[in-house]
Amino acid sequence: MATKEMSYVKKELPGKILNIGIALLAIGLIVGAFGLLLDPTRAKFSYLLGFFYLLTIGMGSLFLISLEYVVNADWSTPIRRIPEFFAATVPLFIVVAIPLFFFIHDLYHWSHTDAVSSDALLKLKEPYLNITFFVIRVVATFVIWALYYFFIVRNSRKQDETRDQKLTKRNIVASAIFIPVFAITITFSAIDWMMSLEPHWFSTIYGVYVFSGTMLAGLAATTLAVVLLKDNGYLHPKMTNDHLSSLGGLLFGFVNFWAYIAFSQFLLIWYANLPEETFWFIDRWEGMWGAITLTLIVVHFLVPYALLLPAPAKKDPKRLKFAAVWILVAHLLDLYWLIMPQYHGEKSGLHYILTEFGFPIAAIGVLIIVFYFNFKKHNAVPVGDPKLDRGLNFRL
Amino acid sequence: MNIDYSKELPIVQGRLSLGELEDLIAKPMSEKPTPKYYIALAITLTLLMIGATSLGFTFYYGTGVWGNNQPVGWAFDIVNFVFCVGIGHAGTLISAILFLLRQKWRTAIARFAEAMTIFAVMCAGIFPAVHTGRPWLDGWLLPYPNQHGLWVNFTSPLLWDVFAVSTYFTVSAVFWYIGLIPDFAVMRDRTTGKVKKFLYSLFSLGWRHSHRNWQHYEKSYVILAGFATPLVLSVHTIVSFDFAVSIIPGWHTTIFPPYFVAGAIFSGFAMVVTVLVFVRKVFDLENIITIDHLEKMNKVILATGMMVGYAYAMEFFIAWYSGVQFETFVFINRAFGPYAWAYWIMVSCNVIFPQFFWFKKLRRSIPVMMVIVIFVNVGMWFERFVITVTSLHRDFLPSSWGYYVPTIFDFGILIGSFGLFFTLVLLFVKAMPVVAISEIKAVADGAQPTHHGGDH
Amino acid sequence: MERNTKLHGLVALFDTPDQIIHAAEKVSHSGYKDFDIHTPYPVHGMDDAMKLKPSKLGYVTLVFGLSGAAFALLLMWWTMVVDYPMNIGGKPFFSLPAFIPVTFELTVLFATLATVIGMITFFFRFPDNKHPLHDTPYMQQVSRDKYGVFIGASDPKFNAKEVRALFESLGGKQISEIMEFEKTWQDAFNPKFIGILVTTVILVSGGTYFTLNKLLYITPFNWMEHQFRGVPQEKSDFFADSRMMREPVAGSVARGHMPYEFKDSVAQPADPLENPLVNSAEVFRLGQKKYLTFCSPCHGNYGDGDSRLNQQFPNPPSLHTAKLREWKDGNIYHVITNGQNVMPSYSHQMTVKERWAVVSYIRALQKAKNASETEIEQFRKENTSNGN
Repeated sequence: MATKEMSYVKKELPGKILNIGIALLAIGLIVGAFGLLLDPTRAKFSYLLGFFYLLTIGMGSLFLISLEYVVNADWSTPIRRIPEFFAATVPLFIVVAIPLFFFIHDLYHWSHTDAVSSDALLKLKEPYLNITFFVIRVVATFVIWALYYFFIVRNSRKQDETRDQKLTKRNIVASAIFIPVFAITITFSAIDWMMSLEPHWFSTIYGVYVFSGTMLAGLAATTLAVVLLKDNGYLHPKMTNDHLSSLGGLLFGFVNFWAYIAFSQFLLIWYANLPEETFWFIDRWEGMWGAITLTLIVVHFLVPYALLLPAPAKKDPKRLKFAAVWILVAHLLDLYWLIMPQYHGEKSGLHYILTEFGFPIAAIGVLIIVFYFNFKKHNAVPVGDPKLDRGLNFRL
Repeated sequence: MNIDYSKELPIVQGRLSLGELEDLIAKPMSEKPTPKYYIALAITLTLLMIGATSLGFTFYYGTGVWGNNQPVGWAFDIVNFVFCVGIGHAGTLISAILFLLRQKWRTAIARFAEAMTIFAVMCAGIFPAVHTGRPWLDGWLLPYPNQHGLWVNFTSPLLWDVFAVSTYFTVSAVFWYIGLIPDFAVMRDRTTGKVKKFLYSLFSLGWRHSHRNWQHYEKSYVILAGFATPLVLSVHTIVSFDFAVSIIPGWHTTIFPPYFVAGAIFSGFAMVVTVLVFVRKVFDLENIITIDHLEKMNKVILATGMMVGYAYAMEFFIAWYSGVQFETFVFINRAFGPYAWAYWIMVSCNVIFPQFFWFKKLRRSIPVMMVIVIFVNVGMWFERFVITVTSLHRDFLPSSWGYYVPTIFDFGILIGSFGLFFTLVLLFVKAMPVVAISEIKAVADGAQPTHHGGDH
Repeated sequence: MERNTKLHGLVALFDTPDQIIHAAEKVSHSGYKDFDIHTPYPVHGMDDAMKLKPSKLGYVTLVFGLSGAAFALLLMWWTMVVDYPMNIGGKPFFSLPAFIPVTFELTVLFATLATVIGMITFFFRFPDNKHPLHDTPYMQQVSRDKYGVFIGASDPKFNAKEVRALFESLGGKQISEIMEFEKTWQDAFNPKFIGILVTTVILVSGGTYFTLNKLLYITPFNWMEHQFRGVPQEKSDFFADSRMMREPVAGSVARGHMPYEFKDSVAQPADPLENPLVNSAEVFRLGQKKYLTFCSPCHGNYGDGDSRLNQQFPNPPSLHTAKLREWKDGNIYHVITNGQNVMPSYSHQMTVKERWAVVSYIRALQKAKNASETEIEQFRKENTSNGN
């Protein structure tokens, strides 16, 4: 093998990172609270936006881990800790979601019993869309996700010391079982939290659409962190740009996948032209929403597509960093496009719009803080993983 | 059984040298066919003749000899079309998508799967071509300036199909041929027969294994794989648009595109496994097409089977959740109406039986996987049947309710398409290398330099 | 024809991929340009070892992919919006979402075909089955499991001895010379090549002609061209009398036909019909037109009976005789309708109205010929007083 052994040495992140995280959280919360004073209903929608931003990045990362185990990928083993650190936000979901339970009447039309009794459709959906069942579903989902997270991360960390291959095997089995569970839970989370904002509307692809965004968010966050950490020497020194190329390729693939799913949903509804479906898109086309929809196509598909198309771009840390940040912003816009048109507020003005981004900024703060503490406590490379050497030797 | 995760599984078993690999793969082409081969060919040709006869009747009397009638205007023709195109998708998935994902195990099966793609698309093409009623005028489907002063309707999903399937066929054939060029050169340099030498020289175009060519060749392979991947998605997506852009309950649902793609891969993998199990046995390719490869394919079958199950579940849930009574009716009618038998065949074959693949022992057992993949083939055919026929047979008004029964000609053409498919497969395994020789050499043990490009 | 041979280059074989990578590095490092490595499969790291520039194939793909997309969109725009716009499902003529699938497919088709054809023809210069390396033992071994290096004689640095020494120092085996035929000007006129070219041209053009003009040809509205219909003056297989032109059923009356009660009576009727027309410029114009067409050849332009038929035929009578001037309108009409002496009937040439108009015109002629001075004065006065 190589002449001199290069191995991983644990380094700690500068405290500056933690300060940035805390600052973002504080700024976000203050701006968000200001929004609550200005226009409470609007701010509650923006809280949902921030919450879902956190949820999609966390769950996207968690799904990446399970995917690595199930397909027995080796190239991603040296960087697996990064999505693990992001996924550390998963157990926090239940805490972050508590305010939403209090906002339920402002967010969800179906939660009003008087509205339901006068609406035949809502009455029909009542067995599913009622507060009790909603809370049960949400809590059960969060518990399942958290349990899986704890199981997989405990095994992964234990392996740092024991180097026991059985732990890998256990994680593979757990991940194989988790993936179908994840598919169902993420779908119903999407339906419960976002699709039921407009309880009359329905689309069978909705879960897949939200999944594509979730995956993209997790990937973009992981890519950004990996590029930054690798450039500054926090990861294994034997990692090369070929590892980045895989991340870039996946990002490119999922940008296309998102566009494919989004286009499929739009085309079928546009073509069939049934009023019970089209109104959802009309809500997103009238007034300034038309401009936002067109922006979404450009920002979420055309620009990242062009950015990541050339083969060298997928390897280049600089371009990859830019693309990852871009996609994280685009993902926020995507969630904004999904959630906010359902808020039919009358007040408008720049300060209202600015306050809407308070909670998403706070979500980024939470991610950074969680990441910082996990990074501090644990190895940034799964040193005991049997696939680590294979992964480090990965070449295109 | 304990696996050592720190080592990669070898692609080729038995530590064969490069020359031995080549001899093994080239053997079927240098030997005279055995009587068994002729028996197999006789069977497939008989099936093909049944299909040809049925098609002859259809040509002569028109599509009225089929069971299609109001309200079921689309039946076996579209069912078989979607089924055949779906089978084809596994080939492109293996050759393109797994290539981009750098799954080296694809090497052993890619060539064969690609060939199956091409044959399956050829079979698929028969059905819509005949269903037009006057197949000799199918050229009108293409937009060319003509004396009628007319153009095709570019907003029709059926026309998108024309473009999608013909592009898919062309690109798959080109992709396949590009992969074959170095192998034709290998055959050219091995063979002693004069006719064979001429033919292999002709098709190898004068390939010299030059690295100056390999460089562009590899680049083109990446480009073609990069195009074939969205192409394969687009093809079955457009096939799903045939149904989903309409407003027929049971057809108009937004999950159709990814659901059809997953189903296509599912059925395609099942068909690839079905045929490969025989091919590896008959041609002694067990060391190249290993049980590990079959196991991986079975995992893909399990995964895509669950995706299909997810789509079934979502369709049912949203049919209720939407509150649209027509939608709800169609789905209840599917599960408990006159075609309930077809529906439950579909669900059990596609969702329940593949669950056995959760167990490693069953995944690696040839007899078990044979049974399951055949169930999957049957189930996926029935899926298209359920989608097409059950959505149509009870129209909005009870006065236009009916029960579709296929005629002998419907079955004849279906059998004939299988005959065509397997005849082409049999001819292929004797005429061309079923495993990409140059690719398998490249992934054999010790084939690549020990020091990688970037390390020094 | 005997052809001259010359040295094409030198080759050597190696057993392992490591050796060939090493050899490639050394050869490219020694400054040779016209060299090549032959391996049974692509060996990783060879691009760097040979110092090859990255393949430019991607640009071909990009250009043709974009052309495919542009072509598809333009084609659909022109056919669906400009040339034959149709309302389909109430969608706009230019329905971009519905155009995406075909645009995508054509992009893929153009890009992949261009990449492959471009690579084979321009990058590889294939097909080339006459290359000197073909059918050499060297080619047969690199085709199987050996790794070969080649240095061409056309390289400016080429020196057979030095190259041989270089190969030996690298550990190359079976070092051998590759000979080639010298190219001559006749090569371009190879009868096989010309034959293939001609056959291709004939097949492609013939196939296109047959497909478009025979197979896919359909005459517009063929159901009108091939309908059963009677052609007058033609033989009929349908009617017993074999005549396609039919007699009207006995007793049938044509639309608008007014029977003339004195039809075919030679003698003037005692009480003829009255002229139903009221004098007007329009009636006179019609009468004049018909008179000049049908009557003037015999009776002369002004009714004097002085046409060029005079003296060649029984002289046609003047219309200005006292007898005619005293006739009632109906009498003149009767003669036009039935004919008189050698004059045939004009009932087939002129309608009832036209015949009456001719009568009115004849009356005007008679008036003009026999007007008194006072009447002429009167007429002139009336015309000038109208301001003309």
